[in-house]
Amino acid sequence: MPAITVSHLRKTYDDTIAVADVSFEVGAGEIFGILGPNGAGKTTTVECISGLRTPDGGEVRVLGLDPRHDREEVRQVLGVQLQESQLPGKIQVREALELYASFYRDPADVGELLEQWGLADKAKARFGRLSGGQKQRLAIALAMVGNPRVVVLDELTTGLDPHARRTAWELVEQVRAAGVTVLLVTHFMEEAERLCDRLAVIDRGRVVALDTPAGLAARGPAAAQRMRFRPSQAVDVAELRALPGVTSVERHGAHLEVAGDADVIGAVTAYLARRQIIAAELRVEQSSLDDAFIALTSHATAAQEA
Amino acid sequence: MTTRTLSAQRPQLPGPRPRPRLLPEFRMTGNGFRTLVRTQARLLCREPAVVLSGIVLPLALITAFGAIPSFSKPAAALGGKTTLDVYVPTFAMLSSVLTALTALPVTFADLRERGVLRRLAVSPVPAAGLLAAQVTVIATAAASTAVLVVLIGTAGFGAALPVNIGLMLASYVLGTTALISLGLVIAARARSAGIATGFGVPTMIVNFFFAGVYVPLQQLPHVLRTVSGFVPYGAIVDTWSGSGAAWRHLLVLAAYTVVGSLAAARFFKWE
Repeated sequence: MPAITVSHLRKTYDDTIAVADVSFEVGAGEIFGILGPNGAGKTTTVECISGLRTPDGGEVRVLGLDPRHDREEVRQVLGVQLQESQLPGKIQVREALELYASFYRDPADVGELLEQWGLADKAKARFGRLSGGQKQRLAIALAMVGNPRVVVLDELTTGLDPHARRTAWELVEQVRAAGVTVLLVTHFMEEAERLCDRLAVIDRGRVVALDTPAGLAARGPAAAQRMRFRPSQAVDVAELRALPGVTSVERHGAHLEVAGDADVIGAVTAYLARRQIIAAELRVEQSSLDDAFIALTSHATAAQEA
Repeated sequence: MTTRTLSAQRPQLPGPRPRPRLLPEFRMTGNGFRTLVRTQARLLCREPAVVLSGIVLPLALITAFGAIPSFSKPAAALGGKTTLDVYVPTFAMLSSVLTALTALPVTFADLRERGVLRRLAVSPVPAAGLLAAQVTVIATAAASTAVLVVLIGTAGFGAALPVNIGLMLASYVLGTTALISLGLVIAARARSAGIATGFGVPTMIVNFFFAGVYVPLQQLPHVLRTVSGFVPYGAIVDTWSGSGAAWRHLLVLAAYTVVGSLAAARFFKWE
């Protein structure tokens, strides 16, 4: 049985369509990423999975259960860390973990959780006094307190500094190592690339791509290549543009940026060699997940690629 | 999505099948309820404003009134009772009114506004359990305060107890649950602490007025005294006076309790 099944999910708020048509399946033990620009419908999708919202159409199943109809059963097996959710400012870390642990039939050991998530020395600290990173660690610990089989982590690392972000990634890998299926919502490419086994890219309420991170990157705009360099002498931009495979040439101060298909690098270097121009500070970029993401989510026709 | 397709897809489910329900769901572990009560009690104690208004204020008022000599003399306008006699029931209920109509709704609205309920909503705790735990905490604090007020008024300053102790207790218990249920309805829906205050405080003032806090009930015009019987605090105080239509009052209070608490649990909003 898949850990999560979403089929033709649809959710509207008044006149706004938050989710138009989203379908995907998360296999047991996977780290599955939902990637998309702000307002794409990511949070609404995970809110429907968590049972906070009732879908207007389509179906959502968590381990075969309906999050609205089987509220209690789903919540016993699903751990959730949501954006904009908080604890009372005056509750202590240990009190919060003990409170949430008491709601579950088979909770994790609070002492062990405090150790595992590096909160043991903060056990008596009030929630309101914790740093952003500590709050985030507590949020994951709370998502894990019921010994869940599936966890949803929504924008886990938003607002964290780069160091805390890397620590959070290690924590997610720890969660998976414990045999838990992870649904990770993010808008950081690097995070998706590093953690996820598979990704769904959501834009304007639709899934526009569903693949592994490497598979998505390869789908970048015609496997785009981009080179950037400082020519040793003036270059005729019009001639560069006319070269086979070149799609665009842009001038950035003393640097030129040439983009094109797989042949572009050979064509440009041959051209420069013929003119005896040296390309200083040369940087070549292969198509990345970033490019694929931008391409998938920046034009309306992308909606048909799903 | 229909329930028919749902049950068709749920053959190998462990545990009992959820049945369609009219009443709000209340399924939680006993340990969960106890821990929730303990945690909410601790959090309430960490809010000085609640402790001051809900517990300290009624005790201070009864002590101050008791210390004024003229309040302990029988007055013809009060049917031969002393001012203190009249105010002991009023102040005994004060903690219930204050906590039920301000602390309770404001606490919940604040938790809702700050996303605390949103987090609880994705845990297995049911809305009714959450409300019941908070009610347990508030009712315990209010009852302890009421006992102290009655002790200070009667044993300390010689006020006369109401004639019928059984009626007094019944109206106190039902009165407190009625007020709490009113507070719960606000607590269940108010989006922010400001909105909760906006509904809670006027409700409280109406209750105070019809209980004779501002003007003694006996001096109100007949029409208003009749209305007063249908306002929780008024019904309570009139029952305590020993001269009111006690059974009708108790019925009114019971109706508030049942309708209010069920509506609150049923229409509870997590966000």
